[in-house]
Amino acid sequence: MGIILDKFPLIAKAIPGGQVVLTSTDYIIDLGRKYSLWPLTFGLACCAIEMMVAYAGRFDFDRFGVIPRPSPRQADLLLIAGTVTKKMAAPIVDIYHQMPEPRFVMAMGSCANCGGPFYDSYSVVKGIDRIIPVDVYIPGCPPRPEALIYGVMELQKKIMRMKLERGGGATVQAEKGSRDPAGEDA
Amino acid sequence: MNPLAGADAVARLLAAVPKAEIASSPVKDYPTIRLAAPADLLLAARLLKGDLGFMYLEMVTAVDWLGPVNLGGFVCGGNSNPLSRKPAAPPVSPVPGPGVSYRPMLDLLWSFGNLGENRKIFLRLELPRDRAEVPSLTSLFAAADWQEREAFDLFGIRFTGHPNLIKILTPDFLQGHPLRKDYVHAKDRYDEE
Repeated sequence: MGIILDKFPLIAKAIPGGQVVLTSTDYIIDLGRKYSLWPLTFGLACCAIEMMVAYAGRFDFDRFGVIPRPSPRQADLLLIAGTVTKKMAAPIVDIYHQMPEPRFVMAMGSCANCGGPFYDSYSVVKGIDRIIPVDVYIPGCPPRPEALIYGVMELQKKIMRMKLERGGGATVQAEKGSRDPAGEDA
Repeated sequence: MNPLAGADAVARLLAAVPKAEIASSPVKDYPTIRLAAPADLLLAARLLKGDLGFMYLEMVTAVDWLGPVNLGGFVCGGNSNPLSRKPAAPPVSPVPGPGVSYRPMLDLLWSFGNLGENRKIFLRLELPRDRAEVPSLTSLFAAADWQEREAFDLFGIRFTGHPNLIKILTPDFLQGHPLRKDYVHAKDRYDEE
């Protein structure tokens, strides 16, 4: 996050009535983030088919402000759609660290949640939360587009609880495991 | 496809390659030739590509006939896994099903396609599991490069003469060849609790 936004809570609290300015700023920033969640186009397996359907005409993800981006530098949301193999794990961590903060991760489908049917396999990571922090888990094999939309709406609810004085969800990052971008469970 | 369409190719192959025979276990109803020794492979492949028009190498794969293996990697009838620290299990004689005979062999399979005449022919070759070495077909078919790397990665078959025989599918830290029946997975950095 920018230097100004990092310092802003300190400045706002110092002036009288600053708390009102701070909460209003939080609201506006969260609103902007909530309705411009740009996911990285990152399909790994059959869940990507459902993800593509969600972007397409019938379900029309654009109306939530979810517009797929081809580069991690432009994306806010890493949508892990599919089976993560151990060979793919290192590139995923690289991609995650290339995304600008605040960044969010959704694990879509059983494989990304916990390994799914490949739990006993020699080559599959048993859940994406073993390598990067995850905000929302979407169960299903694969989840229907409605489930994906519901997952995005849950993430939007979480984003609305983000506050600048708690770091705006950007600075406190768990290395792995499940995480709350609002920083309330940290 | 009519399996008899490839009868002339089969006859020429059987005449040219010493000790080759029609396989007792064909792939579906395609003509399938069983080779006797690894040295015959290049001869057969050269004939298939040059005279018979089988220009397309579709597949290089294998079957491990070691037989039933329990979760510890113990083979019924003996433990041949060097990675397993446990002592060998007491020998249990495997009960093969109808038409199945368990043996410490790798059954290699090549599939050649003739796109002009829409025909297919399969070559089979049995190799002992501990000395699975066979000449590479990369000098004839460029497609053999990655296919043989995959067979090496998953089955541990050494293709002599291959220009770049390294892992292609499994991550670098994975030990062993996962599609071998006695493969035991050693825990890696992504398996820790």
